[in-house]
Amino acid sequence: MDIEKAGSRREEEEPIVQRPKLDKGKGKAHVFAPPMNYNRIMDKHKQEKMSPAGWKRGVAIFDFVLRLIAAITAMAAAAKMATTEETLPFFTQFLQFQADYTDLPTMSSFVIVNSIVGGYLTLSLPFSIVCILRPLAVPPRLFLILCDTVMMGLTLMAASASAAIVYLAHNGNSSSNWLPVCQQFGDFCQGTSGAVVASFIAATLLMFLVILSAFALKRTT
Amino acid sequence: MKSDSIAVDVPAESSSVIKGKAPLLGLARDHTGSGGYKRGLSIFDFLLRLAAIVAALAAAATMGTSDETLPFFTQFLQFEASYDDLPTFQFFVVAIAIVAGYLVLSLPFSVVTIVRPLAVAPRLLLLVLDTAALALDTAAASAAAAIVYLAHNGNTNTNWLPICQQFGDFCQKTSGAVVSAFASVTFLAILVVISGVSLKRP
Repeated sequence: MDIEKAGSRREEEEPIVQRPKLDKGKGKAHVFAPPMNYNRIMDKHKQEKMSPAGWKRGVAIFDFVLRLIAAITAMAAAAKMATTEETLPFFTQFLQFQADYTDLPTMSSFVIVNSIVGGYLTLSLPFSIVCILRPLAVPPRLFLILCDTVMMGLTLMAASASAAIVYLAHNGNSSSNWLPVCQQFGDFCQGTSGAVVASFIAATLLMFLVILSAFALKRTT
Repeated sequence: MKSDSIAVDVPAESSSVIKGKAPLLGLARDHTGSGGYKRGLSIFDFLLRLAAIVAALAAAATMGTSDETLPFFTQFLQFEASYDDLPTFQFFVVAIAIVAGYLVLSLPFSVVTIVRPLAVAPRLLLLVLDTAALALDTAAASAAAAIVYLAHNGNTNTNWLPICQQFGDFCQKTSGAVVSAFASVTFLAILVVISGVSLKRP
């Protein structure tokens, strides 16, 4: 009976104590409510900021890979054209039949331009890495899109001019009495054709790089 | 318990409303500010597009009408030069005409970017198509330039003789067409860069 009475007394006492706690609880809840909402809003903002950064980082990585492939392709085109020469097995005392890329000014400019483009693409790799590390930075992307456009133009100029000459070397032209030379210099023409194809591949990759940079530049909001 | 939930909900709503208004005001300010800057770029884009159309049409027309017939002829042989004689010049006329046609069709999209400076989709579309048109234009101009150079100077190594000593007018017109094509290439390159700049967020 005493124990039961003590229990009942405790029960009676606890509500009395809890009521002021509840009042204090109301105050605390009032104080903590804004921070909770504030944290949630900040988390949402962080998530919104993270998603475009992740997407643009993926684009930047793809940009880096394409740039590396384009650099290798442009340098391969220049090297192929520069090392394409052929000497026919017969010769006279004063005349030796030899074909080289220096015989045609268009192909000389082809070697120079593709070397420049390969060098530019190699030097632009650090800027592409900066875009990977800081996906939301704008100035390096603007710089890359500007230079990529110029280099795409240069590559296409060299590739198209050389393609016209290689086509003429293969087929000739009866209207202007320009005879084909590939019947005698078959290996030379195959080498130059391969170099022109490689250069067109590099130009196509540069075009994709320009479009990729544009997609990365567009605002996400 | 009910009174507790009511007390908690009221400040949450009020705080969210207060925080919601500030970003809206910020966006409104950004909208008015960057709209003018990008509208200016869009107008410049439209004007450059018109200039590129004129240059491309001039190039195609000059090359297409560049035939020349020498004043002497025999009964069976007539000395005549036309762009049809060279496949590279045929490709030039077709490619430049395609580029000019694309540029004319792209004018409405350029107008859309002037009316709605902050729209992203038409700018992206224009940039992708401008890049493709730039590639085609550059390829045609460079190939024709190589042939025109060969026609002027010839090449002793391959025994290709120059033909401009006989067909002077033909070579002058083809040279003019190539120069005009390179002018349109320059305009298109500037268009691509302007589109890229317009895409960046302010």
